[in-house]
Amino acid sequence: MTGPRDLNAQIESLVNRLRRRQVVGSWSVSLETALLLRQVVSVARWNQVNVLINLVKDVGGKLVMAQPRELAVGNIVRRVLRLIRDVYNSEVSNSNTNLTSTSEEVEDDDKDYEDDNMIKSPPQKSKTYDLQSYSGPGSIISSSFFSSSASMINLLGDGSVSGKEASLDYDRNLLNSFFFLHLKPTIISELQELINELENMYVNIADQAMEHIHSNEIIMTVGKSRTVEMFLKTAAKKRKFSIVVAETSPKYLGHEMALSLSQAGIDTTVISDSAIFAVMSRVNKVIMGTHAVLANGGLISVSGTQMVATAAKHHSTPVVVCTGLYKLSPLYPYDEDSFNDLVAPDPVMSFDEGELIDKVTILNPYYDYVSPELVSLFITNTGGHPPSYLYRLINENYDPEDTVI
Amino acid sequence: MENEGNKKSIKERTKAKHKEKQSKEMNESSNKQVAALFSHLEIAKGANASLASRDIHPAVLVIGLQFADFKICGANARCIATLTAFKKVIQDYKTPEGTTLSRHLPTHLSPQISYLVNSRPMSVGMGNAIRHLKLEISTMDIDLADDDAKLLLCEKIDNFIRDRITVADRVIVSYGLQKIQDGDVILTYARSSVVQALLLEAHAKGIQFKVIIVDSRPRLEGKGLLRCLVDAGISCTYAFLHAVGFVLKDVSKVFLGAHAFMSNGALYSRVGTAMVAMMAKEKNIPVIVCCETYKFAEKVQLDSFVMNEQGNPDEMVNISTTSTPKAGLLDGWLHKPDLKLLNLLHDLTPSKYITTVITEVGMIPCTSVPVILREYKQV
Repeated sequence: MTGPRDLNAQIESLVNRLRRRQVVGSWSVSLETALLLRQVVSVARWNQVNVLINLVKDVGGKLVMAQPRELAVGNIVRRVLRLIRDVYNSEVSNSNTNLTSTSEEVEDDDKDYEDDNMIKSPPQKSKTYDLQSYSGPGSIISSSFFSSSASMINLLGDGSVSGKEASLDYDRNLLNSFFFLHLKPTIISELQELINELENMYVNIADQAMEHIHSNEIIMTVGKSRTVEMFLKTAAKKRKFSIVVAETSPKYLGHEMALSLSQAGIDTTVISDSAIFAVMSRVNKVIMGTHAVLANGGLISVSGTQMVATAAKHHSTPVVVCTGLYKLSPLYPYDEDSFNDLVAPDPVMSFDEGELIDKVTILNPYYDYVSPELVSLFITNTGGHPPSYLYRLINENYDPEDTVI
Repeated sequence: MENEGNKKSIKERTKAKHKEKQSKEMNESSNKQVAALFSHLEIAKGANASLASRDIHPAVLVIGLQFADFKICGANARCIATLTAFKKVIQDYKTPEGTTLSRHLPTHLSPQISYLVNSRPMSVGMGNAIRHLKLEISTMDIDLADDDAKLLLCEKIDNFIRDRITVADRVIVSYGLQKIQDGDVILTYARSSVVQALLLEAHAKGIQFKVIIVDSRPRLEGKGLLRCLVDAGISCTYAFLHAVGFVLKDVSKVFLGAHAFMSNGALYSRVGTAMVAMMAKEKNIPVIVCCETYKFAEKVQLDSFVMNEQGNPDEMVNISTTSTPKAGLLDGWLHKPDLKLLNLLHDLTPSKYITTVITEVGMIPCTSVPVILREYKQV
């Protein structure tokens, strides 16, 4: 069994690979992060939930620092944290229903944990209410916690500790170890579900392709996105349509996409970025991928996407974004440029034109911010959603205190 | 020996046939791979001097080659080059017996014009200029001697160039100077001769402003403008079209050039202009177009499809920004049956994205274009 030292080595290895951009692409980054966090949960020594949570936050913080522009890392860390809390809360409520009504002994640590949370959240009347604020509709909380409210009242943190607790120390300790022994495998199995979700991401999204594409459509896409590629290839098996790909100079990702799509037998046309408005009047739909989705529904996408989305809006052409849920971030774009990077201007104007370069500022932004009004639909692995629904997805999958890692 | 000789010639013949078949197939496949929506626009076959008939004047041959290779590029430059070449044609022209200059000269010019159209489709301004020339020829006084008539025609051509292009540009620049103030950040797209003259003049007058040049593949015409402005000492920023959303944040005005102006107020210009105008309009930045009146067209156009020009699609394969070509991933696109490349040259900007048009007759809204045309017709 690998010890903590090996774990540290694994963490360092992923941090370095992120920093050197040897792991590229939100999906691979997310998968690696999820796998590493599963290792952390299974290998590291922890016997209290808040220790585990702090540990995961610590590791997550290092990963986010390694590549701050890759928002998917933070998203996976937040998912895992939320997962741990959900499992813990449901186990607590389950174990409380199993205990007799006289046993007000819930662990000290447990109480501390709940106290901490109560300080952060606004004061609630009962613990049951507290649980509800954390869990969304898809949670694993059983309905039994309503009946256990009587035994939980003592946890309100009003300082009054029942005298019975001292005598039940031994029992409490037993309960401790039993409780947390039971917690670990549940957390790991939930984590495995998350990893499975990530691995089946493309298939889940591509399966919805037939509902959105009709025959003889002209679809426009920008740049290169593996999600969109699989989406279109799945649809092409049963429908006949044509694609217009905007090459995104100066990265020319559109060229790769066009080659791949034409090899699958789809009628593809490559146009330069300048022809996007000209061709848009004949395009039926715009389908594109994105690098990240922000809390307000805005997109951080490859540069050139804002042009396409604005042109589509002017022609009233629907814009469909295919993305996995792991790209949804609870961060808010207070400043459009805070998520943007300016990369080397060499592809725009190379050093061969040296005398010119000295006197001129050359700009080569990597990303574009697309405002949520320009997007019509998000197709995710959980189905299709309008931009206005994203706040619910964020509520379900992330906790507000994890927004800053 | 004879048998061997026969065998050899048979071999050679079959080889030649095979090559012919191959090249035919290539041609056919390249024709099939034109994007279906634009199949009504033929890609210009390019100038082929060896196929030109003997009637074509050498001056016209020269500019035909220059047009096909895009060595002369831009509406004004092409128009001036055409008219100058036609001046030479007229000077070398001798009226044959039994007919007058005013009747025969137009028929003499027709093959020259069709040769130019084959090398590269004519611009709207060129069409207007040639129509004006033909009108002048037909209203020529019959009694005039040949030499005098030719002199008069050349003078008329010079006047046209001077009045409708050169002086018009200067008037446009003087109007445009009213629109540039200290502290302005001006965005321009690709390369327009009028906008270039305007910016140089504004800098010469001492106005402090900055210029952002947005350029696009595959022509990369903005680089020429960049060199020119940098040599004059204007502080410039350069970016590709994908960055236009990022760059528009600081821009105060957008100046664009025109290839032609349609009667419904739509601007027909270099591909990508519509995108820049639309993005600027989204951010409420004024879009100012500088256009001479000889580019106003009688026709109306609603979209970029019905009338356009397709360039050579192979230009899109080269992804280098310098003169040394570097083939990208699309090399060999001809062999992939489902892959097409589209190299459009122009697009149409709807009138709602344009704030004002500066012409030599003043600053007009783009809906006044048919009014100006009517005024000219009455004269």
